[in-house]
Amino acid sequence: MSDPLAHPDEPQRALTGDEAPLPALETPAAHALAPRAPSTLSAVRTLWILASALFVVLLGYLAFAVPASWFPSSPPLEWSARDMTMPRGTGAVVNNELVVTGTDAAGQVYIAVVTDLKARDYATITWHARNVPADAKVHFLWRSDYAPKKIFSIPVVVEAGRLQPVVLAKDPGWLGHVTGIGLAMRGNLQQQFAISGVAAKPSGAFSVLQDRAGEWLAFERWNGTSINAVTGGDDVQSLPLPLLLAASMAVALAAMWAWQRYRPATDAVNIATAIAVMFVTCWLVLDARWTWNLARQIQATAAQYGHKDWVAKHMAAEDAALFDFVQRARAEMPATPARIFIASEPDYFRERAAYHFYPHNVFAEPRRNELPPASSMKPGDWMLVFQRRGVQFDPAAGKLRWDGGEPVSAQLKLRVEGGALFLIQ
Amino acid sequence: MMDIIGLLLGLLLLWAFGIACLQALPSRMNRWTAAGGTTWMIGAGGMAGLFLATLWLRVLSLAGIRFSVVAITLPLLLATLALGGWAIYRSGIRGTLMASVREALGELSGRTLEGTGRILWRLLLAWLILRYAMLFSEVTTRPLFPWDAWTQWATKGRVWYELGRIVPFERADAWFAAGGSAYFDAGPHYPGTVGLIQVLSSNFLGRWDDTLMNLPFWMLSVAFVVAIFGALRAMEFSPLSALAGTWLIASLPLANTHVALAGYADLPLAMYFCAGILACLRWHKSREPGDAVLAVLLLAACPLLKIPGRIWALLALPALIVAWLPTRGPRIVAIGYAVAVFAFLLLAQTSPVIMGYHLHLDFSADWEALANSFLLYDNWHLLWYGTIAVALLGRRELLKPQVAPLTAVVVGGVIFLAFVLLFTNARDWVSDQSTVNRATLHMAPVVVVWMLVVFRAWARTLPTALPAPPVPMSLPAQGVIEPLSSLPATTPPPLIAP
Repeated sequence: MSDPLAHPDEPQRALTGDEAPLPALETPAAHALAPRAPSTLSAVRTLWILASALFVVLLGYLAFAVPASWFPSSPPLEWSARDMTMPRGTGAVVNNELVVTGTDAAGQVYIAVVTDLKARDYATITWHARNVPADAKVHFLWRSDYAPKKIFSIPVVVEAGRLQPVVLAKDPGWLGHVTGIGLAMRGNLQQQFAISGVAAKPSGAFSVLQDRAGEWLAFERWNGTSINAVTGGDDVQSLPLPLLLAASMAVALAAMWAWQRYRPATDAVNIATAIAVMFVTCWLVLDARWTWNLARQIQATAAQYGHKDWVAKHMAAEDAALFDFVQRARAEMPATPARIFIASEPDYFRERAAYHFYPHNVFAEPRRNELPPASSMKPGDWMLVFQRRGVQFDPAAGKLRWDGGEPVSAQLKLRVEGGALFLIQ
Repeated sequence: MMDIIGLLLGLLLLWAFGIACLQALPSRMNRWTAAGGTTWMIGAGGMAGLFLATLWLRVLSLAGIRFSVVAITLPLLLATLALGGWAIYRSGIRGTLMASVREALGELSGRTLEGTGRILWRLLLAWLILRYAMLFSEVTTRPLFPWDAWTQWATKGRVWYELGRIVPFERADAWFAAGGSAYFDAGPHYPGTVGLIQVLSSNFLGRWDDTLMNLPFWMLSVAFVVAIFGALRAMEFSPLSALAGTWLIASLPLANTHVALAGYADLPLAMYFCAGILACLRWHKSREPGDAVLAVLLLAACPLLKIPGRIWALLALPALIVAWLPTRGPRIVAIGYAVAVFAFLLLAQTSPVIMGYHLHLDFSADWEALANSFLLYDNWHLLWYGTIAVALLGRRELLKPQVAPLTAVVVGGVIFLAFVLLFTNARDWVSDQSTVNRATLHMAPVVVVWMLVVFRAWARTLPTALPAPPVPMSLPAQGVIEPLSSLPATTPPPLIAP
């Protein structure tokens, strides 16, 4: 007896006890996700449709994203931090980065680069910067032989501490031979930022795709926000990969639906199977990228912490100096848990020091740089001060006070650069 | 090296203890022989064992017995031997335990599949093994890293391990009043299960090591994916489909991150919640008291892991109502949700603080941040695209009996998250991406399962030129489907298209 469940495209099989049961068709449920169609043929056809849809979506994207010629002949030009001058503001080149430390008296920073490029050949200027303050007002400046006495400018968007590429192809001032480019920044620069280089790009189709691929494959290292969000590559992405894949799936499905609606008798592909195959394939693409990122992270973690005991690991961590200080402080304290108050301005140091002190009975305000009043302390309590202003100690009188409050008797037990340990008496 | 071996043996003991406990639960049938039974018992056993061990620590502390390797492992070892021996004795009578394990190993090797299916199975399995090997490497190399892990979770673990007992953590005013008998951290009111898990591993290890103490979170994740595979098989997914569904859950980037950077309660909560809901549905199908006990145990872990776990655990009720009353249940649950929403809206007029969240009726969603979280960033791969698409495609299937219980859970979860993220002070944490994804992680595994179930229900409704599959007129209670080859040769296959 032939197996009535076998697909017509498959050879008929006997329904006998000798053969293994047909696992893919053994239950109605098993019917759902894959088995209804002649799977391999359908899957291959579906993947071709998906690939075609991806191509169409990318073409559509490029139609918007390529600012000028799709296939330019000019090579990209790049200038490093050493090619930059800084007529205004303060800073220096450190590790091949121009580290900007402050503004001039007028609150301005100006960075300049001498160039020699034809404006029409280069549609985009990209500054490679990091840690740029979000509230900084940044302008891109240039000068050309088209109007030698005039300096043109256009605003630059700051996002996630980075400078977004400046698209100049359609700017009326981007003409002639560009003899110099620069950045002007104004604002209260409370943090240092660094510029490693600047590039002029023709931004043709391949260049744009290369940039997007670079964003997707950028190494997303663990950081303080990793536990909350996985961006999927670069912090800022013009075309997130999940969106591209989802759009491609949507286009592919629309095409399949239209095909089957108007040509129902020809080459019908089971739509459920097609969806499942496309979804799993796109998921796999995203997961391959994620796996690659994870592999790089594991390598980085092993390089930093591999083959170390837990103390050595902390000595290799970002807060090694604090950890070392706390270890020395703990050596001064009794073995049995004692009350200790932590004073430090940054939340990170306050909380981190507290963590290293347990199982001592630690008090550290989690979200405020505040210390309790002296009256709430008692003899035998301890206080650790690390990078905090407003704490004064008079060694002669043995008095400690903070934030202008009442002094308490205390003994200095340990002192390091920027930190001290006191025993309240 | 001996300390690491001690840690691994300790964790294996917990796993074995959990399996032995599950096997000892009353049962009219052999739960190992049903589809996915073995993997469910092993996976859920690992989860149950870890949670039960934290309960044992609470008992020890209440009894005034200091935490130690002996105090922890000896009773658990004796219990495991006793319960396991009894289980082997019972299964020896039935003669099926070893056969079930052999069958599970056979399924694991993919030998029940053919051709492309077998290749895909092995590739997926290899992919999963690679993923967990990578996560193992990371979790055993990096010291405790994420912020909350060392400001409010491991703080308790460290103190309780060093003191050998559970001591209270109090808010600032109570801490000052206690004069040294209470402790303080950034989250003194948070439940202690995460800390107790770290106490367990530290005791097995014999020292404080804020890298290796997180290994149980990796183990929990492995147990969870094994359980998920078993649950999907029990829900009548084919082996390959079940493995694909397991892979979807196991590859969620944010979930992976919470394994690699272990120390938060969010992923354990998500895992216990998902397994608890699936255990509930399993119980509804089998009506086995043992399944009910397991469901209660897994759901009980939720509030003991994190405060929002109280709400997540309660969502088992709508699922059971809908499962019990397939006709009236959805209406009852819908009314219940409407009443809850109305009550929240009324409460919001007075700006109350519920479970630490300041509720207020001041809706201003940050849609851009939400789109980034769910659709543009790679937190979830394509989960929310798939969820939206499946909800639209399968909209007519959402209230069908096999789908409705999970739909009730997902709808309840969405309402809960919407309130938290749009109407409370937590919406600030949407804009800065600090909480939105972690809060969503709690329900993500359940959403994946729901997505698979709805998709399957929708796929079954599609017209096809191919012969329809055989539909058994009635399924055995435990969901065991007889293979076609066992049908008598003379029996005409039912519902075969001409």
